[in-house]
Amino acid sequence: MTALNSSTFAVDVQNLTVGYGSNVLMQDLNFTVNIGEIFVILGGSGCGKSSLLKNLFGLYQPLAGNVLIEGQNITTAQGAERQKIMTSFGVMYQQGALFGSMNLLENVTLFMEEYTDLSQDQMNLLARCKLDLVGLLPYETYMPSEISGGMQKRAAIARAMALDPKILFLDEPSAGLDPITSADLDSTIQDLSKNLGITFIIVSHELASIYAIADKVIMLDKGAKGIIAEGDPKVLRDTSQDPRVHQFFNRIMSKDAA
Amino acid sequence: MPINTDSSCGQASIAKWELSNAGTAKVTITGKVDVYSLGDVWSRIREQQDAWLKTSGQHQLTFDASAVSSFDGAGIAFLIDIEKVQQAAGGTFTLIGLDPRYEPLLKEFDPISNLFPVPAAKPQRSFVVSTGIAAQNLLDDIHGLVSFTGHLAADLFWSLRHPNQVRWGDFVNAAVQAGIAALPIVGLVAFLIGVILSFQAAIGMQQFGAVSFVGPLAALGIVREMGPLITAILLAGRSSAAFAAEIGTMTVNSEVDALVTGGLSPIRFLVVPRVLAGILVAPILTLYADVISVIASMFTMLIYGIPFINFYNGMLSAVDVEDIGSGLIKATLFGIVISAMGCLRGMQTGTGAAAVGISATRAVVSSIVMIVLVDGIFAFISYKTGF
Repeated sequence: MTALNSSTFAVDVQNLTVGYGSNVLMQDLNFTVNIGEIFVILGGSGCGKSSLLKNLFGLYQPLAGNVLIEGQNITTAQGAERQKIMTSFGVMYQQGALFGSMNLLENVTLFMEEYTDLSQDQMNLLARCKLDLVGLLPYETYMPSEISGGMQKRAAIARAMALDPKILFLDEPSAGLDPITSADLDSTIQDLSKNLGITFIIVSHELASIYAIADKVIMLDKGAKGIIAEGDPKVLRDTSQDPRVHQFFNRIMSKDAA
Repeated sequence: MPINTDSSCGQASIAKWELSNAGTAKVTITGKVDVYSLGDVWSRIREQQDAWLKTSGQHQLTFDASAVSSFDGAGIAFLIDIEKVQQAAGGTFTLIGLDPRYEPLLKEFDPISNLFPVPAAKPQRSFVVSTGIAAQNLLDDIHGLVSFTGHLAADLFWSLRHPNQVRWGDFVNAAVQAGIAALPIVGLVAFLIGVILSFQAAIGMQQFGAVSFVGPLAALGIVREMGPLITAILLAGRSSAAFAAEIGTMTVNSEVDALVTGGLSPIRFLVVPRVLAGILVAPILTLYADVISVIASMFTMLIYGIPFINFYNGMLSAVDVEDIGSGLIKATLFGIVISAMGCLRGMQTGTGAAAVGISATRAVVSSIVMIVLVDGIFAFISYKTGF
């Protein structure tokens, strides 16, 4: 067996260039995410946050550079090795992406059926625990089309946690949630991070939520095609000299900034 | 007895079941407890617990988690399961040695009885109720069809009076997709039908020495019936399904709702251009199919020693302009029915990704049913009027 988890980073991004064909969105990104950290990717709409995320978890092939997940290179991995890396993390897509033909419980148990030897009752209990964590326990028999958009997102988080991955990628988890549910979700994320050592990599715009949970943020900028700020969000808000960062954290309208 | 399973991560989780006396048992779990290593351990501990709980007397269970190196959500579910079974049997459950960092997570699931819902009995529908529901669905469908036809007719007339307000861009797109893109497949099928029809007719006619009549027969059959019908069925398969899927996806994404709340009629906006495209494309494609089919028939009859000129003369004596016109009018009606059914099923799409597929299927089935219905009505009118 290979020396697993020898890396001290959950995710290690090396000289990553993100884009589509000749359209380069982000150039030469370098950053690392520590194990157990809540790491938030910020940036204006359309700057390539979601594209970066899809490159990180290997859905898209980067134009250049490497992404190491727990020390293993997902960019070059093939076949069984790649599949193994794929099961070490969970992903929540922006729109939820639940399987429309299955109810919530079946959505969560699907990956367990494929990868574990638990019995149906055990899987159901485990899936109910996940649904309980996101506050959807009473809705286990509902179909995705029967619940609201915010609930679909939460169900998608439950599904992403199905195999208790060490890393969770969440694409805008709290967008469109009411403040109470959003706060509940933040506290669940913190509990999971603190108690189970799960690493979170989150794309988010919700400033309140970012201040509450983020250990570290990186801020992307479309014009700079890269990272323009990195660190603790509260520190960045109070001390950053960069007008773009200042503007973002203090919610200043674009026409007032110049 | 220690229970050991292979873990994907090297350290296996081991669970030990010990019975100190008949009423007191202890589960000790060690190592890394995760969803991959737990399956076997969980089932076997539960088997022993169930067997023990069947014995009479007190049941005091201690769960020792002090030697656990790491725990995940599955481990917590395992704990909860054991505790729940103890509670249900009236026994006691004591957890010792759990790392305090897992306690907040365990608290999240309090009270654990919520995790074990009593399965609700499924409501049984009697035969009468299900028949009633089916009848109601049929009535609703007919009502939807009638109301849609009315709206469509009104909006088509409106478009005639306001031609500048028709979405001609959409019309051209739909006409290209349904028409020009369908030329190869319609041509291929028409050619093969022409060949098959002539061969089959020739086999029969040969017995009566009437091979020379195959040409007029095939040409008449193609122009009046086969040309319009095969074109319509191909259009139903291609374009009706495409319209249903396109409008269905728009319905799922609330785009149709956005039109309605914007004060625009989805029928005028989405359906009228497509129906107009159907009206234009269906007769043209039919004419094209007629020509290809007749040419195919001519070549086939060459095999039976009928020269082109004889076939041509025979065809002229049998086929009038009226016959071609009758076929093309029928084709136009088919075109309306096909595009309208595609659009109607698209607008009736429910929610979810599967709904779009269902709509496309329904569009094809309803289109073909309507084609046959229109064809039947047309045949009756032809018989009565001689047209």
